[in-house]
Amino acid sequence: MLAAQVLINALVLGCLYACIAIGFSLVWGVLNVINLAHGSFIVLGAYGAWWLYHAFGIAPWYALAIVAPLFFVFGYAIQRSILNQVIAAPVLVTLTMTFGLDLLLNNVMIYFFTADFRKLTLSPPVGSLSFGGVVVPVDRLIALVLALALTFALYVILRRSRTGRAIVAVRLDRDAATLMGVDVKSIYAIAFGIGAVMAGCAGVLMALIFPISPLVSTAYLTKAFVVCVLGGLGSVSGALAGGLLLALIEGVGSVLFGPALATTLSFVLLIVFLVVRPQGLMGRKGFE
Amino acid sequence: MAKAGARAPILELAGVTAGYGEIQVLWGIDMRVRAGEITALIGSNGAGKTTLMRTLSGLLPVRSGTYRAAGIDLSAARAETILRAGIVHVPEGRRLFGAMSVEDNLLMGAYLRRGGRGEIGRDLDRVFHIFPKLYERRTQAAATLSGGEQQMCAIGRGLMSAPTLLMIDELSLGLSPLLVEQLVAALRQLNAEGVSILLVEQDVTIALDLSHSAFVMDMGRIVRSGVSSELLSDPIIRDAYLGVIED
Repeated sequence: MLAAQVLINALVLGCLYACIAIGFSLVWGVLNVINLAHGSFIVLGAYGAWWLYHAFGIAPWYALAIVAPLFFVFGYAIQRSILNQVIAAPVLVTLTMTFGLDLLLNNVMIYFFTADFRKLTLSPPVGSLSFGGVVVPVDRLIALVLALALTFALYVILRRSRTGRAIVAVRLDRDAATLMGVDVKSIYAIAFGIGAVMAGCAGVLMALIFPISPLVSTAYLTKAFVVCVLGGLGSVSGALAGGLLLALIEGVGSVLFGPALATTLSFVLLIVFLVVRPQGLMGRKGFE
Repeated sequence: MAKAGARAPILELAGVTAGYGEIQVLWGIDMRVRAGEITALIGSNGAGKTTLMRTLSGLLPVRSGTYRAAGIDLSAARAETILRAGIVHVPEGRRLFGAMSVEDNLLMGAYLRRGGRGEIGRDLDRVFHIFPKLYERRTQAAATLSGGEQQMCAIGRGLMSAPTLLMIDELSLGLSPLLVEQLVAALRQLNAEGVSILLVEQDVTIALDLSHSAFVMDMGRIVRSGVSSELLSDPIIRDAYLGVIED
């Protein structure tokens, strides 16, 4: 029974981790930019959900429809106005740029929302389902379904749409994509916009489950990083595999060694993967 | 293909220079490529053929001189504009999107076209008709194709851009003679259908045999040009590029 509960928890958390990591992985893979502001994007999305709920009574699952377009514009504008100016520079330059962006965004959020933790509490509460002793809170179930839906939507966009194909083409061979008439800088901006949408939406889903504070942005960022290393950079399926693996390790680890050591365990695994299998579980060239 | 003034140059270069950073590779290229023909560009390694192709397709900027295609000034144009003008570059080494399927690679060729599904679908059928092998492998990742199939896919992808001038860099490199023969036949057919072709080819015999006229490059300049059959019997060309020792 305990095993079933740990597994179901890991499944829920794993899909959320995948959702957190997927935008990060896309931006890293396509633009070769390690977006250190990704964690703050997630927190901003969570605040968006909190605010929409408490100010207008808009439930988080509807809030996605508002947050997603806003984050696309936000991400697109950042890439167009700031990052595209230095995109050709060595990776350290873009890294420093996103680090600065993260500091800025994080402190703005501390200024407006304070660093205190707050929780989006649905009223009335949605309750929980139990299947023969395994308890699943309904809000978590909703988050799971939405996380999977978002992941699947991104997969379909990248595989089936004209712009999605262009994003994959730019990732695979920038010069060849240019020869097809692809405007690489505009594709960069779209990819960064999609990365921001995934971060913002992941934040909305996290708000359903976890308390919100600007201070947790680093935790989200490191989760995204670990998932990318475990699953392998550059594919939706890799992010999903990495997310599930990370959640499983944390779940099993906290049962065996206690919650304090579970996170440590995931970082030990990160180091092992970097040494033994740096391309990750599903790592290969091409974002699919 | 009915074209007004079919003999008007599809490419017209005057004093074009280009290069990478501090290194200048092209030192004033003058050339006129006639519409409706197959034109070959030959020269030894490092002569600047690939650099010229990259400049013509807009991957490298023209530093000085003028570059016109069918009367349109493209000296300062971006790759996208050049492609819209019908100048399509099939790059050296195929440069397919390896993890994408053959069909998706071909569709990438039609990226800029707004013709709608019908028109693009028709062109897809046309490519599959010219290269039936590609139809068999349409759902396979491009990286899993053999060298010859990859070249077919690269040419097919170029055709999907609806070219008036198809520029192919290194057609035969690394391919078996039989495959080269198939590709040459396909190019002849395409040319007969009205597509002008500019071919960079290290096998000078194939290049001069296939083309109507040819340009010889050396040290970043055009050093000779003329009708291919005449160049083929030119003792200097034979000596320098065909490795034939005259008696």
